[in-house]
Amino acid sequence: MERWIGGSASTTTAVGWDTVRVTTRLRECWSAVRYLVVGAGTSLLSLFALAGLFAVLLLCPFGVGIPSLAPMIRLARWPVGVDRRRAARKLGEPIPEPYRAGSPLKDPATRRDLAWLAIHAATGTIIGVLAFGLPLGAVQQVITSFVWPLVPGGIEGSLGIVVDSWPKAALDLLVAAAMVVATLQLPRVARWQARTARKLLAPAPGVVLADRVAELTATRAAALEAHGAELRRIERDLHDGTQARIAAVVLQLGIAGQLYDRDPAMARDLLGKAQDTATDALAELRTVVRSIYPPLLSERGLAGAVRALAERSPVPAVVDVEYETGRPAAVEAAAYFVVAEVLANVTKHADASEVDIVLGGTASVLTLEIRDDGRGGADESRGSGLAGIRRRAEAFDGTLTLTSPPGGPTVLRVELPCGS
Amino acid sequence: MRVVIAEDDALLREGLSLLLKTAGIEVAAAVDNAEDFLAFVEKERPDAVVMDVRMPPTHRDEGLRAAVRAREIHPALPVLVLSAHVETSYAVELLADGVGGVGYLLKERVGKVERFLDALQRVAKGGTAMDPEVIGQLMARRRTADPLEALTAREREVLGLMAEGYNNSTIAELLVVSDGAVLKHIRNIFAKLGLPSDEGAGHRRVLAVLAYLGRDAGSAGTTPHPGARGISAVPAVP
Repeated sequence: MERWIGGSASTTTAVGWDTVRVTTRLRECWSAVRYLVVGAGTSLLSLFALAGLFAVLLLCPFGVGIPSLAPMIRLARWPVGVDRRRAARKLGEPIPEPYRAGSPLKDPATRRDLAWLAIHAATGTIIGVLAFGLPLGAVQQVITSFVWPLVPGGIEGSLGIVVDSWPKAALDLLVAAAMVVATLQLPRVARWQARTARKLLAPAPGVVLADRVAELTATRAAALEAHGAELRRIERDLHDGTQARIAAVVLQLGIAGQLYDRDPAMARDLLGKAQDTATDALAELRTVVRSIYPPLLSERGLAGAVRALAERSPVPAVVDVEYETGRPAAVEAAAYFVVAEVLANVTKHADASEVDIVLGGTASVLTLEIRDDGRGGADESRGSGLAGIRRRAEAFDGTLTLTSPPGGPTVLRVELPCGS
Repeated sequence: MRVVIAEDDALLREGLSLLLKTAGIEVAAAVDNAEDFLAFVEKERPDAVVMDVRMPPTHRDEGLRAAVRAREIHPALPVLVLSAHVETSYAVELLADGVGGVGYLLKERVGKVERFLDALQRVAKGGTAMDPEVIGQLMARRRTADPLEALTAREREVLGLMAEGYNNSTIAELLVVSDGAVLKHIRNIFAKLGLPSDEGAGHRRVLAVLAYLGRDAGSAGTTPHPGARGISAVPAVP
C-alpha cells in the first residue's frame, strides 16, 4: 500500500496536488475504516441486546419478564457504553453518562439508548461491511482488470461481471474508481456515526438542566434547614445568655440607684456586681459573634484567619495561599469553619504530626485542600465531623472529596463556588 | 504623661478622655481614625498611645497596623491596643519587635479603672500588659505531654499573671500572698518548665514566659515549625 502511496505522490505532484493533503486524506480513511469495522462488531452486540430486550418484553405478559426488564436494560447499557466511549475518542471530547440513579425504566436516557441500539443495529453492520469491502474490492477490481488474460475463461469480478475481454476490464476499472470514490467518503460516514452516538448517548440538554434543578432544590432545602438551625442556635444563645445578663445588669443598676442615699456601701457593691455581670455578657457575646462570623475574617481576610487557626492548632499546620482575593463573606466563613472543624478532627483522631492547608482556586471557586500525615482511615459514615463538613459545603453547592486509606495520608478537598 | 487616643466610637473615645483626665493624664489628642493618628504621631512623640483595632475607613485592622507603623516612626513608642475581641496572632505582631511597651486588652477592661490605669502606666514605662484572655488562649492550647500539667493551680495562676505583665509585688497583691511566697512560686515554675532561673525582670521576663507558652506542642526547646508563627517567633531574650 505504501508503494502505491509513493507512486501516486510522484505522479500527482505534476498535476499540482499536495502530498500532505493526500496522506492526511488516506490516514483519515484508514482511521474511518477501523472505526466503522469495529462499529460493525458493536452493531451486532446492539442487535443481540435488542433481541434480548424483545425476548424479555415477550415474556412480560407471563410475569417472569417484568422483574428482568430493568436488569436487561442495565445489561444493554454495556454495548451502548462501548459506543459512547468510541464516539468520545473519535470526536476528541468526553461524552458524560446520562444515567440517573434509580430505576432505568423511568430514566429518560433509556429511550435514547434504545433509539441508538435500533439505529446502530440496523445500519452499523452494513456500514462496517462496506467499509471493509470497498477498499479491498477496489484493489481486487484493479488487479482483476490487468491479470484476466492470464486466467483461462476470465475472472469473475465483484458485480458478477466476468472479465474476459478488455472492454469488460475497462468496465471493471470504472467500478474500481467508483469504489475508490466511495472509500474516500468513509471518514464522513464515520463522523456521522460518531455524531449520532453523541447526540443520543450524551445526556439530553433538558435532562441535564432538570437534574441540576433537582440537585439545587435539594441542596437549597438543606441550606435553608441549616440556616434555620443556625438562626435558632444564635437566638437561643443571645436570649438565654446575653439578654438575661444585660437584664440583670439593668436590675442591679436600678437597685443601686434606690440604695444610693440610704446605703452607699451596698450601692457601690451592687455597681461592682453590675459591672462584672456586664463583662460576662460581653464575653458571651464574643463567643456568639465568633460562631456567626469570626472577627478575624473581616479584619484579616480568609488567609489571615486561616493562618491564625493554624497557629493555634496543637498539630503543627502549614498554610499555603495560592489565591487570595475577597470572596463572598458567607463562602469565606464556610471555608474558615471547615478548616477549624478539620483541624479539630485531626487533633482528636488522626494522630498526625503535620497538617498542610492549601487555599486556592479562582475568582469563581474557592478550593481548600487539607492533608495530614496521620493514621488515615477517616470514614464519613462513622459520625465524625466529616458529614457536617459535607453539609456545609453542599449548602454552597460545593463538593467534598476525601481520600483516607488506612495508614494515611488523609486528604480532604473542598470546593466552594463563589457565585457569578 | 501625654497620651493620644485613637478610637472611632464617640462614646468610648469621650469616656476614655474623661477617665484619663480625671486620673491626671493629659490627652494630647483624641482622633477617630488611623490616618489622623499617624499624622499626629509624625509631628510629635506622645508618652503613650491608646488605640482601637477596628477603625474607618475599612473597619478592618487599621488600628493595629497604625500601631506597628507608629512604633517604626518612634521605636518603642508605648502602645496600648484595645479591642472588642483578642487574637493571639495580634499579640504576636505587637510583641514582634521585642522592645516592650506593649499592651493588648479587651475594651471592657477599661471598666476596672485602677487596673486599666496601672496597665497604661506599665506600658508607658516599657512594660507589658496582656489580656488574661490572650494568656488563657495560650494556656488552653492542647499539647501532647503538656508540661503545664506539672504546675499546681496556684503556680498556673502566677504564670498567667507573669505573662499578663505584672511584677512580683503586684502579683502578691492580687493573690493576697507575701512577696516571698510569689518568689517561691516563680522559682518552682521556672524549674518545672526548664526555663533559665533568672530571666531578669519586667518586659524580658514576660517575653520569655509568652515565648514558652507559644511554643509548639511537645517540642519544647526545638525551633518552631517553619509555617507556624507562634509567639515563639518573638526574638530570643538576650
